[in-house]
Amino acid sequence: MMAPFLKYGVFGSETSLVVAFLLGIGFGFALERAGFGSARKLVSQFYLDDLAVFKVMFTAIVTAMLGVTYLSWIGFLNLSLVYLVPTNLLPQIVGGLVLGAGFVIGGYCPGTALAATATGRVDALTYGAGLYVGTLLFAEAYPLVKGLHTATPMGQTTIPQYFNLPYGLVVFAVVLMALGGFAGAGWVEKKMATQRTIEPTAS
Amino acid sequence: MRELVLTRHNDLIDPLVRVWGWEIPVYLFLGGWVAGMMILVGYFLLRGRNREDTCVCSVLPGTSFVLLSLGMGALFLDLEHKLYVWRLYTTFEVTSPMSWGAWILLLVYPALAAAFALRPPGILRDLFPAVDRLSRRLDTPVGVRGIAAANLVLGIALGIYTGILLSALGARPFWNSAILGPLFLVSGLSSAAAFGHMVARHQEERELLARSDNVFLAIELFVVALFLVGLLSSSQAHVAAARLVLGGPFTAPFWVLVVGAGIVIPLMIQLLAVTHRIAHTPVGPLLVMAGGLALRFVIVAVGQVSHWAKV
Amino acid sequence: MVSNTHVSRAPAPYSNPYLAGIGLGLVLLAAFVFVGRGLGASGGVSAVVASGLHAVAPEHAHRLEWLSGRLAGDASPLKEWLVFEGMGVVLGALLSGLLARRAMVVVEKGPRVSRRARLLMAFFGGSLMAVGAAFAGGCTSGQALTGGALLNLGSWAFMLMVFAGAYAVATFVKWQWR
Repeated sequence: MMAPFLKYGVFGSETSLVVAFLLGIGFGFALERAGFGSARKLVSQFYLDDLAVFKVMFTAIVTAMLGVTYLSWIGFLNLSLVYLVPTNLLPQIVGGLVLGAGFVIGGYCPGTALAATATGRVDALTYGAGLYVGTLLFAEAYPLVKGLHTATPMGQTTIPQYFNLPYGLVVFAVVLMALGGFAGAGWVEKKMATQRTIEPTAS
Repeated sequence: MRELVLTRHNDLIDPLVRVWGWEIPVYLFLGGWVAGMMILVGYFLLRGRNREDTCVCSVLPGTSFVLLSLGMGALFLDLEHKLYVWRLYTTFEVTSPMSWGAWILLLVYPALAAAFALRPPGILRDLFPAVDRLSRRLDTPVGVRGIAAANLVLGIALGIYTGILLSALGARPFWNSAILGPLFLVSGLSSAAAFGHMVARHQEERELLARSDNVFLAIELFVVALFLVGLLSSSQAHVAAARLVLGGPFTAPFWVLVVGAGIVIPLMIQLLAVTHRIAHTPVGPLLVMAGGLALRFVIVAVGQVSHWAKV
Repeated sequence: MVSNTHVSRAPAPYSNPYLAGIGLGLVLLAAFVFVGRGLGASGGVSAVVASGLHAVAPEHAHRLEWLSGRLAGDASPLKEWLVFEGMGVVLGALLSGLLARRAMVVVEKGPRVSRRARLLMAFFGGSLMAVGAAFAGGCTSGQALTGGALLNLGSWAFMLMVFAGAYAVATFVKWQWR
């Protein structure tokens, strides 16, 4: 086992911030390449005429998942040292619904808003202002919502652990599901007769 | 700021100095930037570019005048005995960088004023006939060459002095490097060229400034490397000082803000711009200038933490 | 190299979504391998809010339970992994946008909505999203993408709910986009 490098002391936590910056450059570059610096492109997912959000996201998930599975299978990556956000099912369901609504209303999610601001989208700037205000409101109102925020704690758990399934089987199922989804996405885009892929804004 | 003696063993500097706030880095940045602009003005004047209406060399002296005054204001705020500033000018101490700096600054203003007077804004000419007369008197081949030489020489002196000011403090191992002077000089030049690139109206000048800024940034990268290698191959205290930005608590600000966002990324953007793969935007220059400011902040902060004790 | 002296004006089309997805997945994988954590964004916002509030009203900031953890140590709350990652995102997106001539000052909106209404909606959506991300402990990057690749149970539940919430509301804000 050699990875995660930070956990095995290859570099310290201060240096990990430099790594964060470099990874961020890659992240931002990929987001912008995909068209996620444009709110019109992002929300088209929810009007079913350009399903790039689904395609990009699931390709990324499958790529990283296969990579993680392979690297831990050959004994390079210690998966138990990769941080897993603890599951709190109820607040995550509520939070997901609220966040989904905010996505189609605001046009971005926090990461894509950064990419959009960097490329000059003014609406991403006011969206970002909203993020700060919302975060501050949540922090101020925390005593009122703490009950919901900490409800149904289940600790760090994965789908294979929770349903007691072999890890490889779940990976295989996700890959199949994604491939099915990609085929379905192509079909839906064709079915939506407009068949418009959202192209970049021209000045 | 109370006086720091230049040698060790002073309760203000061992083990840590924490007496310099934002004023000194801002002053060092503005001073370096102005130094760079004086060198550029000198160069453009020597090339006879001041004949052109759109020459950036008619914008830079006035800007420098304002920026240097802001920097001096910051420096003044930092002084504890504000009323005794004039005493710097009653003496000249060959071994004191403060004394050198005070005198250089005194000469810089007239050099900038003369460069400004070569091409004063039309409104000034109309309002004050004296300005117009002065401008005519200076605008001779000898006059222009003299002003160019003064700006070049004083610019280089000012740029190096901002680094020497720190490196003369032998008590701080991180600053105790002869390379700090050239580093601040080339960083000031890169800020100046970036600013010129941003405000130049003449196509050819803009291209020239962008290309030279890229050269300055590349040199700056090299000088940063030399600076760190120099510290690493010196005494144990110097090695410990270098470690502060090589895994130590200042690693992230140094590599991300100064080197990454302040040198490498704008260099990439401007390389694309000068090869006409992307349009010229103010983004690169703004990053360069922010990086120059970050360099002064990080160097001043790290220096104050680096020490000789306990090694 | 053939030098093309005139920068052509039209923005380049976006990349193939599957290629962009593979690129994104490899960055995510690198994050797992190098630091043992995934990508994120909303945590960076909390860090900035904590540090801003700490600068304005330090005592009040420490009293807020949800933020106080970020103010516990000696170091600034801005010395946070996601803040540095966020700086990288800005510069990476900027590089990509400049290269493809897609970087321009513009408001993204449909034809039927005024700029002002769109900017207000963006603000409102942003604040809603912050609350959702706070409840869920992450956003589309930190939860859906990162947790999705790690087969995190909560992240998958969250991800399905994001799509459900967005599709449920989409009809009501169609005037903004179409």
